Amino acid sequence: MIGLNIVYVFLFISLYFEVFMLVSFIQSRMERGMRRGILRHDESHMPTVAIVVPCFNEEKTVAGTITSLLTLDYPHDKIEIIVVDDGSKDATLAVARRFESDRRVRVFHKENGGKHTAMNYALAHTDAELIGCLDADSIVDPKALKEIAPVFQNPEVAAVTPGILIKKPENILQHMQNAGYGLGIFSRFTLASLGSAFITPGPFSIFRTSVVRDLGGWRHGHSTEDLEMALRIQERGDVIGNAPRAIVYTGTPRTFKALFRQQVRWTYGFLRNAVDYRHMFGNKSYGNLGLVILPMALISIGIAIFFFVRIVLFAMFEIAHLVTRIEITGLMPRFSFDLFYVNTSALWFIIYVSVVLVIVLISIGSFISTGNRRPPMGVVPFVLFYSLLAPLWLGTAVVRAIFKTGVKWR
Amino acid sequence: MEEPVIGTRAARWGSYLIAFAITASIFVTALYASNYFNNRRIVEIRSTQDDISTDILSLETQFDLLQEHSCTDVAENTILPSELSSLGNQLSYMESQGPKNQSEIVRLKRLYSLLEIKDYLLMKQLAAKCNLKPVFILYFYSNKGDCTDCEKQGYALTALSRDYPQLRTYSFDYNLGVSALRTLVAIDDVDNNLPALYINGKTRYGYQSVDDIQKILPQLKTLQKAAATSTATTTKKRK
Repeated sequence: MIGLNIVYVFLFISLYFEVFMLVSFIQSRMERGMRRGILRHDESHMPTVAIVVPCFNEEKTVAGTITSLLTLDYPHDKIEIIVVDDGSKDATLAVARRFESDRRVRVFHKENGGKHTAMNYALAHTDAELIGCLDADSIVDPKALKEIAPVFQNPEVAAVTPGILIKKPENILQHMQNAGYGLGIFSRFTLASLGSAFITPGPFSIFRTSVVRDLGGWRHGHSTEDLEMALRIQERGDVIGNAPRAIVYTGTPRTFKALFRQQVRWTYGFLRNAVDYRHMFGNKSYGNLGLVILPMALISIGIAIFFFVRIVLFAMFEIAHLVTRIEITGLMPRFSFDLFYVNTSALWFIIYVSVVLVIVLISIGSFISTGNRRPPMGVVPFVLFYSLLAPLWLGTAVVRAIFKTGVKWR
Repeated sequence: MEEPVIGTRAARWGSYLIAFAITASIFVTALYASNYFNNRRIVEIRSTQDDISTDILSLETQFDLLQEHSCTDVAENTILPSELSSLGNQLSYMESQGPKNQSEIVRLKRLYSLLEIKDYLLMKQLAAKCNLKPVFILYFYSNKGDCTDCEKQGYALTALSRDYPQLRTYSFDYNLGVSALRTLVAIDDVDNNLPALYINGKTRYGYQSVDDIQKILPQLKTLQKAAATSTATTTKKRK
């Protein structure tokens, strides 16, 4: 009975957060609708931009990344592409050097020190007003920079995040991740409207260079320098915007093992940074971020693990009963089509509503970035399986964060 | 498609409250809907019990008038074991759905037990007067957590009922506290050592497998043959 009450409390918290995000999104749209024309940015505002491509053993993908940056619809004299080879042991440097014939491209080589050191190296070698990053496994839509740059007319804006989609999802795992990225687009947009974005993702987040310098550049951030930088910007009181139509296509893990590793790193980074920035949690001077967003991000990890353990225990219990039954009767139990036996407990109603809401949020994410009204095809496996897979890496990350084991990129 | 967005992070107390109100509404609606469907199930069970009750009353009346009717007429109108077993399944399901409506479910279970006892007694009388050979099993269980083998015993009896549709299995919650049931327990001398099966005038304690029951109840084979013969006869008549 106590267990069931905890389930209801956790379900209420989860559903509350989903509803809060949806309400905030709708309110944001309504406010923007009322002030349409006032908030529009001057698209002729084109500050100088440096896009950094930090690479470590990216010989297979770096050419595609640089090529996509060269096709950006942006004045050639206002953009520079800084490729920083972070001590690669393969042909990354040679591949990158082939692009140096273009005036916009500069290639540097340094000892391996991690992504944040590559970013700081580029920061020290540029005078551009804006600086961004594009991971060497990503490609960018030609119009992306023109979507982002005008947002910096607002002097309070320190960074702008893009809309991230998956580069050619092929297998079911990648389609599932694609649906997850749809949810990510919705979240980034809504969090930006709440002034509460706490991640500036590696693929094509753009920063005001002066702010990054004032903040002392990028830090290791427990292998999640993008999250640590966003928290530092928020701590300073600057604004992080979002341009959902600035589309970036990023590479994603093809295997469960690689996905597991990536997600453990992200969650580990969040947890360790949560400890470092614990003064922001529940602190009303950080507004929505401190009162709702950060605490919910933390609590949701615990809730996901709790539900996973409960589901596993329930499944084991049911399987044990089924085995006993088959042993005794020699038959599989017949499935009853009698409506009498359809589970209509309040618990299931709430789970149905929660799942439908997740699908709605994914669909909104897909729409606000691509204009496509249909949810991505991975939405069904995402809803069915991702919530069962996620606690595996969440649990692992929690354990590793407690013991401060550290995580590696690869 | 959306244009870029920036926002201030000042706490939006209005949004917090709206979200809370919507979430609470969803919860209240879910609880109301769940309650509504549960009540409908209880109404369905009550209706089935009323039907069975009427059938038993009708059967009793027919039985009283037996002198003027043939045994065949009465026997043909007996309540099918499947009706009682289906009602039992529905009650078990409701019981497994948590503590909601438990008092109503216990009330329905008491009535169900009474119907079972009445059907059992009537069938015994019919068997004696009309030379029928029904096969009975009285099964006493507990779901208070003190009977580890009751679940297994339930599965074994379900399997037997499936193999022998004419087998009359009456399941009783030993702790139900119905006076008629207490009397039945006293008459059949059933101890609180569950699961207990009362078969052919003898009480057996502990888990009895399908094979065990088939051994101690050889009439089951007759039932199976009777069912096969009945089917064959029906098929022949239709021709």
